[in-house]
Amino acid sequence: MFPRQSRTESVGRVDWLSVTYLLGVLLLCYYLLPFVSLVASQPLGVVARRLTSPTVLSAAATSFTASVVSTAIATGLGLPLAYWLARAEGPRKTLVTAIVVLPLVLPPIVSGMLLLTVVGPETLVGRLAAENGIALTRSTAGVVLAQTFVASPFVVITAKAAFERVDPALEYASQSLGKSRLTTVRRITLPIAWPGILAGITLAFARAIGEFGATIMLAYYPRTMPVQIWISFTTLGLDNAFPVAVVLVGIAVLTLVVLNTLGSNPFD
Amino acid sequence: MLELSSLSKRYAEFAFGPLDLTVRNEVLSVLGPSGSGKTTLLSLIAGTAEPDGGTISLNGRRLDGRPIADRETGLVFQDGALFPHLTARENITYAATDPDRVDELAATFELADLLDRRPPTLSGGERQRVALARTLAADPAALLLDEPLSSLDAPIRRRLRDELHALFTDLDIPIVYVTHDQRTATALGDRLAVIRDGTIEQLGTPSDVVSHPETPFVASFTGTENVFAATVTGSTDGTTVRIGELALRSTETAETATGSTVTACIHPARLQLTPTDSGDAGATNTVSGVVEQWLNEGTDYRVSISVEGVAESLTATVRPAAVDGLSIDPGSPLRLTIPPDAVHLISSSAIPMD
Repeated sequence: MFPRQSRTESVGRVDWLSVTYLLGVLLLCYYLLPFVSLVASQPLGVVARRLTSPTVLSAAATSFTASVVSTAIATGLGLPLAYWLARAEGPRKTLVTAIVVLPLVLPPIVSGMLLLTVVGPETLVGRLAAENGIALTRSTAGVVLAQTFVASPFVVITAKAAFERVDPALEYASQSLGKSRLTTVRRITLPIAWPGILAGITLAFARAIGEFGATIMLAYYPRTMPVQIWISFTTLGLDNAFPVAVVLVGIAVLTLVVLNTLGSNPFD
Repeated sequence: MLELSSLSKRYAEFAFGPLDLTVRNEVLSVLGPSGSGKTTLLSLIAGTAEPDGGTISLNGRRLDGRPIADRETGLVFQDGALFPHLTARENITYAATDPDRVDELAATFELADLLDRRPPTLSGGERQRVALARTLAADPAALLLDEPLSSLDAPIRRRLRDELHALFTDLDIPIVYVTHDQRTATALGDRLAVIRDGTIEQLGTPSDVVSHPETPFVASFTGTENVFAATVTGSTDGTTVRIGELALRSTETAETATGSTVTACIHPARLQLTPTDSGDAGATNTVSGVVEQWLNEGTDYRVSISVEGVAESLTATVRPAAVDGLSIDPGSPLRLTIPPDAVHLISSSAIPMD
């Protein structure tokens, strides 16, 4: 009697944990299937030919270079802000956090329009830069400006959360041992928060290399990969845009893998 | 020497000080309940909080206004606050002013086998030993300890307390040890400060504070569980007081007139329990009582006894060996003797107990 009852119970019981895993797998498939479909649908020869195309190579170089620079700027400027936000209290923190999140909630094309009102060729900043030989639109600098605007919040928000998880008592302990605040941040706070910071840098790079809306408003030229894909699509059709997309996906995935593989703590 | 003068700090719902305190090259235990201002005191000295008023000096050098790193005040936290990404050795080396001291401190704190381990793999006691070694590696001019034993299991806590006692004896710097544990405070402190609501309620040697509390709060917080409102009924050859209908003699001289109210404090260890058929029933301060309940606390039995005419029960602690000749089951009659020198009187002008 007893074993039979037990079997009956186990048959009737829903394993909710497995169900939640299945839901996760479903989402994972939703992410992966378009990539698999994209890569499978493109003959390798076609992709290879597109890889050696000067326009694609130029777009890849622009995208990669600008993404590295914009991610570096986002990290350099974002980490101090993230640290301040993590340690600040009160309404100022709420206000600054809201400002940081703004680029995330704006449609990228609107971000591009807004940026044009600040760094466009007819603006004070744009004219001053141009007089000094720096074009802030229709240039790599324009691409970097657009990417930094939309990607840097990922560094700030993610690093802020990572800094908040570092117990302030550890910083007090370090300072009470005679170490300055700068030494404390460099040798204690940053190493402990590093995994979270790296996640933010990775997200920012991924967002930068895929940036399209703000970039097309600020810098149609030089073409980035997303812009090149758009042009290939609108002028030659979907089939011609796909091989370029494969190249972009390849660069993005490779960079993200390298970022995470080489993501050992530089502050440790 | 650490000197605090008119030190104050105001938070939204808590005011600390003004507080005057001098700590010589000694161990000052600061004892108080949660929220009494113990940690605020350490924060102000260490520099993790800045005072609103007053001054802090260490060996004649003003500390207030200086960065934490420039105060030379070693701070030991409740959980050790070890850097989790560094090994025990790296934690100590991080602080060491002299790299040669790392191994010396590791030997002092018996850390040789733990040096290559990271904090998450260490036990609570091991973490605190590493934290102490790290703090001392920085060669501080004063040592501040914020309940470093409170999160440890009892056997480890006792062992580390013994080790701290030996360590403190060798250190010739001001040491402020904050705790809410009366036993630790009295065991480690050369002097004991009882703090409450941001002010020091009593300061003295541990034995003096425990045996002669100046306020009902100090009495209660330092282990005197029998704290009663009493009326002075006579002042010949000491003082006679009445608690409810119980008349007690005290060897102390009350500072108030007959008829006035005082607080009578009797430490539970001073109550003597005997069977009802033994001794002199008419001896001074000897009354009959009935056991309400008892609790085996390991080292002692804690017995609550009701006495006719007294609203609150009296508490006595009895050594296990003494229990053998007694019946302490609830309802058992007993004879209580309270030595007159065990009845400590606090005048009603002292701060009332909440």
